[in-house]
Amino acid sequence: MKWAEISILTTHEAAETVANIFHELGSSGVVIEDPELVNSYLASGVWDYSDILQESNTEVVTVKAYLPVDHQLDDKLRSFEEEFQQISSRGMDKGRGEMQCREVQEEDWASSWKAFFHPIKVGQYIVIKPSWEEYVATANDLVIELDPGMAFGTGTHQTTAMCCRALEETVKAGDLIFDVGTGSGILSIAAAKLGAASVQAVDLDHGAVRVAKENVAINQVENIVQVGQGDLLTGVTGQADIVIANIIADVVIKLLVDIPVRLKDEGIFIASGIIAERLSDVAAAMIEYNLIVEKVIEEGGWVAIIARKGGR
Amino acid sequence: MAKKVIKLVKLQVPAGKATPAPPVGPALGQAGVNIMAFVKDFNERTAAQAGLIIPVEITVFEDRSFTFITKTPPAPILLKKAAGIETASGEPNKKKVAKVSRDKVREIAEAKMKDLNAATVEAAMRMIEGTARSMGIDIVD
Repeated sequence: MKWAEISILTTHEAAETVANIFHELGSSGVVIEDPELVNSYLASGVWDYSDILQESNTEVVTVKAYLPVDHQLDDKLRSFEEEFQQISSRGMDKGRGEMQCREVQEEDWASSWKAFFHPIKVGQYIVIKPSWEEYVATANDLVIELDPGMAFGTGTHQTTAMCCRALEETVKAGDLIFDVGTGSGILSIAAAKLGAASVQAVDLDHGAVRVAKENVAINQVENIVQVGQGDLLTGVTGQADIVIANIIADVVIKLLVDIPVRLKDEGIFIASGIIAERLSDVAAAMIEYNLIVEKVIEEGGWVAIIARKGGR
Repeated sequence: MAKKVIKLVKLQVPAGKATPAPPVGPALGQAGVNIMAFVKDFNERTAAQAGLIIPVEITVFEDRSFTFITKTPPAPILLKKAAGIETASGEPNKKKVAKVSRDKVREIAEAKMKDLNAATVEAAMRMIEGTARSMGIDIVD
């Protein structure tokens, strides 16, 4: 099957009305390209950072719809054209109205995105593999099966990869580990595969907790990893050999208050998600809480810190 | 963990009924987003609004993970619901298809306020009334 992709240039005022015409013609949805929306996201500060530039021309909104290429298409395009012209007859500015139409081949959209993901070796032993890919593991490989989904790491991000390497260096058989802001659960799963006896993973986001639990089950470490919902270290019990937090600098600093109680003497605190410019802030705060920075790993503007808690 | 945003995609799709077919497939496939994960999550979150069209804004990160927020349904959809009609007038100037009360317009304006960029309810109402006119819906007191 082929699809006709119809793009029309219009105004903010008319965009929803134009979309409605497409809905009524049987399009099962529309794409709206609105430069003002991009600008409002950039201005709001909800994005950590981005290369997307502020748009200077915010007048033109593009509405894009898809209709099957069949014997009805010409009729539908004609009625779209007529209804679009009518919009302005009652005082609404319909804008430039330039229309473009191109053919799009039917694809297996449900799986074409998978081309972006392949097994990746993030440390000396840890390999992250999407479920649909084959991977022949060598004797030393620790394979974690993880599919990309909602807003959580898949190990391809530098901070996650650095945390995996830090865990490879520090986890000892039998360790108790706290994973703060677990997201997809990847670091907890890695810790379990590296020999930890028990891992308590926490995330504030209910969605993350659900996804982490799924991933823990897929990787068959549910007897080692417990996932719970909570803020920072709320809900964890005991004193850990290692606390790991791959979040952001300010949250890592906030978390330090709990470290003296929650980390054993000589225990390890691994902190990441920190941009290189904030390294000195985090390191300075660590000193206040009796943590000695043993190693700093840096990659692509990000740092991971391995610190050890001093004895009493 | 701070993540870099590479793309923002805005769609309008039927609540509870998104599929990997267009527009979702081509719009998100190009961005490398796990389309089935989006479809599943969107349908779950919007199931209660079945029958309406829902605007959704999807933020795609560098590692191709994503997050999204849903908005209130578009004004034409809310107007059609209020008027009890399925389609707008093809010739809004000549052929009126329905009537909607000003109170109902105010209600829609209040629901849409935060998405409309309107300073006051009155300004939002003027926008909704403009949309109604363009669809052949008369506003009555």
